[in-house]
Amino acid sequence: MVVLNQKVLEEINRIKSKYHDSRSCLLPALYIFQREYGWLSPEALEAVGEILNIPKATVKGVSTFYAMFSHKPTGRHLIQLCTNVACMLMGGERLLDVLREQYGLEPNITTPDNRFSLVIMECIGACDTAPAMLVDTDFHGNLTGEKVIDILEKYK
Amino acid sequence: MITITINEKKITLEKPVTILEAARSAGIHIPTLCHEDILEPYGGCRLCLVEVEKVPRLLSACTQYITEGMVVRTETERVIEARRAILEFLLINHPLDCSFCDKAGECDLQDLAMKYGPATGRFAEGKRKHPESYDDPLIVRNMERCVLCSKCVRMCEDVQGASALCITNRGSKSYVEPFSGGRYNCEYCGNCLTVCPVGAIMSGLHRHDYRSWLIEREVETVCSYCGVGCSLLLQIRGNSLIRTVPKIGRGLNRGLLCSKGRFGYDYISNSERLDTPLIRRNGELQPAAWSEAITHIARRLKEIKENHGSDAIAGIVSGRCTNEDAYVFQKFFRGAIGTNNIDSVASLAYGPAQRFFERIFGQGVTANDIHGISNSDGIFVIGGDPTGINPVLGLQVRSACKKGAPVVVMGYAEGLKRFSKHAFITNSTTETVLLASLVSEIKKKKSLPGERPVFEEIISGLQPVPLKDASEMSGFGLNDLVDTVDTLSNMINPSIIVGRDIVQTSTGHMSLLFLAALAYLLNGRIYLLSELPNEQGLLDMGCQPDMLPSGRPLTIETFRTRCEETLGIAIPSTPGLNYVEMIEAAHAGRIKALYVMGEDTVQGLPDRNYVSDALRNVEFLVVQDMFLTETAQYADVVLPSLSWAEKEGSYTNLERRVQLTKKAVEGEGIEEWKIISEMSKILGLDMGYRSVTDIFTEIVRISHIYREITYNDITSGRCMWPYKGGPLRHDVHIEGIELPDIVSVMKNADESGVQVRREAHLFHSQNASRYSPALQSISPEPYVKMSETLAGRLSLRDGEHVKVVTEAGSITLSVHRDPCLPENVVLIPPFEKGGIFEITKWKVNPVTKAPALDGNRVIIET
Amino acid sequence: MERVLLRNTESPHSADIHEYIKGGGYISLHKAFEMKPFDVIDEVRRSGLRGRGGAGFPTGMKWSFAVADPQTPKYLICNADEGEPGTFKDRGILEKNPHLLIEGMVISAYAIEAAWGYIYLRGEYPRAKDVLLSAIKQAYEKNYLGDNILGKGVGFHLHVHCGAGAYICGEETALIESLEGKRGQPRIKPPFPVNEGFSLKPTIINNVETLANIPCIIEIGGDAYSKIGSPECPGPKLYSVSGHVKRPGVYELPMGVTLREIIYTHCGGILGDKKLKAVIPGGISTPVLTPDKIDCPMDFRNLPRVGSLLGSGAVIAFDETVDMVNVCLRITKFFEHESCGKCTPCREGVGWMRAIIERICGGAGRNGDLDHLMEVSSNILGKTFCPLGDSAATVVQSYLGNFRHEFEEKIKNR
Ligand SMILES: Cc1cc2nc3c(=O)[nH]c(=O)nc-3n(C[C@H](O)[C@H](O)[C@H](O)COP(=O)(O)O)c2cc1C
Ligand code: SF4
Ligand code: FES
Repeated sequence: MVVLNQKVLEEINRIKSKYHDSRSCLLPALYIFQREYGWLSPEALEAVGEILNIPKATVKGVSTFYAMFSHKPTGRHLIQLCTNVACMLMGGERLLDVLREQYGLEPNITTPDNRFSLVIMECIGACDTAPAMLVDTDFHGNLTGEKVIDILEKYK
Repeated sequence: MITITINEKKITLEKPVTILEAARSAGIHIPTLCHEDILEPYGGCRLCLVEVEKVPRLLSACTQYITEGMVVRTETERVIEARRAILEFLLINHPLDCSFCDKAGECDLQDLAMKYGPATGRFAEGKRKHPESYDDPLIVRNMERCVLCSKCVRMCEDVQGASALCITNRGSKSYVEPFSGGRYNCEYCGNCLTVCPVGAIMSGLHRHDYRSWLIEREVETVCSYCGVGCSLLLQIRGNSLIRTVPKIGRGLNRGLLCSKGRFGYDYISNSERLDTPLIRRNGELQPAAWSEAITHIARRLKEIKENHGSDAIAGIVSGRCTNEDAYVFQKFFRGAIGTNNIDSVASLAYGPAQRFFERIFGQGVTANDIHGISNSDGIFVIGGDPTGINPVLGLQVRSACKKGAPVVVMGYAEGLKRFSKHAFITNSTTETVLLASLVSEIKKKKSLPGERPVFEEIISGLQPVPLKDASEMSGFGLNDLVDTVDTLSNMINPSIIVGRDIVQTSTGHMSLLFLAALAYLLNGRIYLLSELPNEQGLLDMGCQPDMLPSGRPLTIETFRTRCEETLGIAIPSTPGLNYVEMIEAAHAGRIKALYVMGEDTVQGLPDRNYVSDALRNVEFLVVQDMFLTETAQYADVVLPSLSWAEKEGSYTNLERRVQLTKKAVEGEGIEEWKIISEMSKILGLDMGYRSVTDIFTEIVRISHIYREITYNDITSGRCMWPYKGGPLRHDVHIEGIELPDIVSVMKNADESGVQVRREAHLFHSQNASRYSPALQSISPEPYVKMSETLAGRLSLRDGEHVKVVTEAGSITLSVHRDPCLPENVVLIPPFEKGGIFEITKWKVNPVTKAPALDGNRVIIET
Repeated sequence: MERVLLRNTESPHSADIHEYIKGGGYISLHKAFEMKPFDVIDEVRRSGLRGRGGAGFPTGMKWSFAVADPQTPKYLICNADEGEPGTFKDRGILEKNPHLLIEGMVISAYAIEAAWGYIYLRGEYPRAKDVLLSAIKQAYEKNYLGDNILGKGVGFHLHVHCGAGAYICGEETALIESLEGKRGQPRIKPPFPVNEGFSLKPTIINNVETLANIPCIIEIGGDAYSKIGSPECPGPKLYSVSGHVKRPGVYELPMGVTLREIIYTHCGGILGDKKLKAVIPGGISTPVLTPDKIDCPMDFRNLPRVGSLLGSGAVIAFDETVDMVNVCLRITKFFEHESCGKCTPCREGVGWMRAIIERICGGAGRNGDLDHLMEVSSNILGKTFCPLGDSAATVVQSYLGNFRHEFEEKIKNR
C-alpha cells in the first residue's frame, strides 16, 4: 500500500485550483507520486485514481502512455541518455557502451546497488551540445566517455 | 435539407450526418471495424476511407460529416486499394488461427479479409506474441487477435461506465487489459464481448465448443433476471441453449446486457434441475408420475378445505412466473379453493411502494420509460443500488450523470460511487429523518403547484425538521446537506429511483410519504427498482390478497361482482393474508396447506430459522420449482417447473411494458398454468384454456389496464402503459394517510450499536443466480462490509474472517473495508450461504405490511 | 538584423523580470491594452505572422476564428512541447527570455479574451520549468498576470502544465487531450480547437516562438513587421542547428535565409571541413535534402518546392561519412516509438518499415526489400488519422529516394 502523506494530498489539492476539471490534475499528480515514491506502482495508480475520482484502469491507461512515467522501481538516479539523430551523429550510442562497461547499465535496467537507472530518450532538446543526457533534472552536454564517468561520480 | 451524391446516387438528408450514416441510409455498405452506432465516432481503423471530390486525401466516412453538394465515392480503385492496405496492416500481427478461434464465422476481420484482403501476406518480420489470458472466470482475452479498435474500452468507459478496461502503452505496444492485467474484477456486463469485432475478448463459458455456424436457431426473447426486461437472443443448437447474446440496437436495452443476462442463463442446464415430480412417502421425497402428483395435490387440498375451511389454504407466487401462470394461479385460489390467501414476493417492498404512490398520485404513476432517466437533469436514488439491482436501468443513471445531471444517493450504491455528487449512508431511522429534513427545507424553496390540494395540505402539515438537527443526528456536515437541498431544488425534471430498502423498515411508511412529497415538490418521475422479472405483472394479475386483476380493490363490490360475472366464479369478499402474514399464520398453525409456486421462501425471507419452522409446521406443502430448493425440501409434493426458455408467456416490467418470453428449447415438465388448470378441474372449476393465448385473451378482457393488447402488440416490445391511452383509475384516496410524528421518531430513535443492512449484490440476486455456476464463480465468498473506523477499532484487515452475531444467529464472513460507510452500519449481501437473511429478524410495518428489517444489531467477533 | 526573440539574452540574468523590463519589456503590453482586442488581432493579421510550430498557419486568422465563437470561457495554450528531434529553439526562449513569452501570451489572451492560459511544457525540460515558474511568479507580483492586470480590469491566469514524454502531444488536439488528463491521442477534426478545444471550449494553441513574436508586432506595428524576412512569410525566425557543423546552436535570422548561409556563414561550415552529404531542414520529420538544394530559402513557401518542409526550422547537417540507412533507421524507430497507436496504418505500418530497415542494417536485407518498403510507406501515406504517420512515410521515402544506392549496397554486401 502507498502511505499517503498529508503533504502529497495538499500538493494535489493545490494543483486542483489550476484547472476547471480535476481530471486535468492527473499528469501533475502522477508526477508527484513518481517523485515521492520513485515509481508508479499499481497501488500508487490506484491511490491517484481515488484522490481524483478517476477509475484506476483509466489512470493506468493514461500513465503508461507517457514515456516518462516509470512503472517499475528505478534507482536513486535516473540517467536519460539521448540517442536521437543529432546525438547519434556525435557519438551518443558509444556512450551506451561506456555505461555498460562501467556500471553494467542497459536501457531500462537499474544497477544492482540501486544507484542508477538508464532510459534511452527521444531527443532532449540539447542537440547543440550533442551528445547529451539528463541525470535526474540536470542537463549535461558535449559528452565524452570520460566526461560521463566524471559526471556520474557526483551522483551517489 | 442536404443533398449529396454517393456513388453517383443522389441522396437527400434532413440533418448533417456522417458519410457512413448517409451511405447506410441509402443502402450503400462501407466496411468498418472501429465504428459502433452506440459509441462515439473514433476514426481509428481507417477501413472506412472513401474518396470525396475536391479533397485530395481519402476521408474516414465514420467521422466526416456531409456537406451540401458533397460527391462521395466508396468503391473506386483507390478506395479498394486503401482497404486492402489497411487489412494487410491489420493482418501482419493477427494470428491466422481462425481454425480454432471461437469467433470464426462471425468475425468482422475474417469477413473483410475474405472480401477485400490480399490473398497472401508479405510480412516476414515475426508477429507480436501474447499468451492467451485465462486469469478470469468468465472472460478470455487473446490479445494477439486484438485490432485495437478500442470499442471494448469505449463501451466499458463511455456506455457501461465501469471503466474496467484500458489501452495501456502506446503505438505498436498498445495493449488492451483490465487494471490488474489478469482478472477483470468488473461488473461482468460482457458488453465488451458484444462489440469486439474479432476473437480477442470472448466469453469463457463456451471456449472451444462454440462454432457460429452450428447455431441452428435464434429466438428473440426477454431476460429472466430482473424487472427491466432486456431483449436478448437465445442461440440454440438441437435442444440446447448455447448462449445468450444481445441484439445491438434492439429492445429497451438497445443491445446492452448485464452479467446476469449474459452469463447467468446457465442455470437452465444445471444438472441439479428436477425432472420428475416428488411425493413425500415415509418421510422421504420420492419420484412420482405427473398424474399421480397432480391428483394427490388436488385430493389433499380438497380434504383440507373441507376440514379446515378455504382460508386454511394459501398460495405464494414468485416474480419469475409469467403473467399467464400468475393469473391462473390466483384464479384457482379464488375460484376453485375459495380464498383470497394469495400473494407474491411483490408484497415485500415493490407492491407496497407502488400502492402508496398510486394512492396519492393515481394509478400508473411509477410506470415511466427508463430512457427518461438519462434525459433528466437530476437523479435522486434511495433505498437500493440501481446498478446492482437493475443494471441496465443503472446505466441510465450513469448516462445522465455523464451529461451533467447531479446524482444524489441515499443508501448504499456501490455502482454509483463515482457518479454521485452526494451520497448518504445511514441506519434506517436516520434515513427517514434525513428525508424529512430535506423535504422541509425544499418546501421552503419551492412553491406548491396547486395540482393536488389534498396532498398539498398534507405536505404543509409535515413537521419541520431543521437541517441542523438532521446533521447532528446523522453526522453529515451541514454544508453537505445545504448543498444537497440546493442541488435537489434546482432540478427541473428529475428522476426519483426507489429501491426496496427504504420500504423495509419500521418507518418505511413515513419515508414513502416524504418521498412522495419530494417527488411532488420536485416534479419528479418515480421509478421503482424491481428485482424480479415480473413483479409488476404479479400485481397486475391480481396476485394480491386484497386486489383483483388490474389493481382493483376486492372490497369494492362493483369491481368484485363484475369480475365474478365475467369469469363465472365466486370471489370471497374478505381480503386474505399477505406473504409475511401467511408465514406467521403457518408458524402459528393457522395455515394448513401452502402452495408455493417458484419461490424459495426460506432464502427469500429474513430469519431463516423462523421461516423453516413455519414451513415445517404446514400440514401440506406444495412447491413447484426448477430445483430442490431449501423450501422444497420441506415440501410434501414437489413439482419440477420449466425454465423461462422452455415455455411461452409474458412479463410486465417495471415500466409496465408487456413483453413476450418465448419458448426456445424443450424442457422436462409441464407449464404451470396447465398443472393448475388440471387441478382446478378436479376441484370442480374447469378453466378450459388450450394455450397461453387463451389466458392472455381473458386477462385483456378482465383487466382494464391491459385493455386491447394483442399478442402482436407485445411482440413489438412497444406495449407500454397506458396501452391504448384508455382512462386510468384516477380515484386518488389520500384520506387516512397519517401525518408522521417525525419529532417523536427522532426523540425515540435508538442509535446504539451497529445495524446490519442489505447490500444489493450484482451477482447474487437471490433468484436463479444461485444456480448459475457462471455467476457463482465471480465472487463466491460471502462478506461483510464495514467502515474503516469500525474495522480499525477491531484491527481488522481486508479479507480477514469474522463472526457476525445477531439475535437471530451468527455467520462467519470475510471483511471488506469501505471508507464510505458510517461506523454504525455494516452491509451484508444476500448470499445463499452466509447471507444477511440468515441473521436478521423482521417486524411487520403496520402500514405497508412489508417486513421491516431495521433494528437488527450485530456484534462482530474476531 | 536586430534580435527580437533573443534580445538581451547574453545577460546571465536575462530571465529576470527586472532585466527584461530594463530592456524595454512589457512596453508592448501597455501599448496593447490601449488598443481594442479586435485591433490587436488586426495588427497580428497584418503582420503576416505564421505559426512557428510547423504547420505555418496564419496566426491572425486563427485568432479571429476563435473570437467569432461566442462561447466562453476561451483558453490560450502555449505549445511548448518542442518534441521534434533536432529542435531546441523554444527552449532558448523558455530558459533565457521567458518574459517575452509571458508578455506575448498576455497580449494574445487580451486579444482573444481568454482568462486562463496554460503552457504545455515538455517533460524533458526541467530547467525551463523552473525558470518559467519563477518568471510567472514575478509577473504575478508585478501585476502582469492576475485578476486585474495593470489595473485595467483584464484578468489572465497562467499555469505551466508538464507533458511526460510523448511527441504526439505536440499535435494540438493530442495536446488538449493530454492537458485534460487523457492519453495523448489526436481528436477528430473538425471541430477544431478554436471552436471546441480544452474542456470543449474555444481554445487557441500557438507555439512558443509564435507567441514570442507578438510583443514585437505590437511594438513596431504589423506593417513594419511584415517587411522583415521573406515577403510571404515575414518575421524573424529561430533556427536550431545541430549535427556536423562547427558552431551548432540557436540562430535568430530573418525568414528566408538559405540553408547555405546558415551552415556556412553562421555555423562556420562542416566539422573538420568535411563535405556535406545531406541536410534535414526542419526537424527529423521533414524530408532530407541533398547538398544541391541548400540554396533554397528557408521558409514555408520555398522548401516544399524542393521536396521538403520548414517544420520547426531545425537544421541537422550530415557530413560525408554518415551512414544514411542508419539515420533512416533511427528516425523510423523514433516514429514507431512515438506513434500513439490510434490508427492502423501508423501503428502497424511504421513498425513494419522499421523492421525491414533494421533487417537491412543488420545485414539480412533481401532483393525486393526496397520496393516493398516503398509500397508499405505508400500504403501508410494519406491514410493516417494525423500527420505523424504521414511524416514517417514521407521521410522514409525521402531517404529511399535520395540514398537508394546506400540501401542497395547494404543488401548487396551482406
Ligand atoms: C506530430 C505533430 C507534432 C507536433 N509537435 C509540435 C511541437 O512540438 N511544438 C509545436 O509548437 N507544434 C507542434 N505541432 C504543431 C501543432 O499541432 C500546432 O500546429 C501548433 O502548435 C500551432 O501553433 P502555431 O500556429 O503557433 O504554429 C505538431 C504537429 C504534429 C502533427
Ligand atoms: S498517425 Fe495515427 S497512430 Fe500515428 S500518431 Fe497519428 S493518430 Fe496516432
Ligand atoms: S470505421 Fe471509420 S475509421 Fe474505423
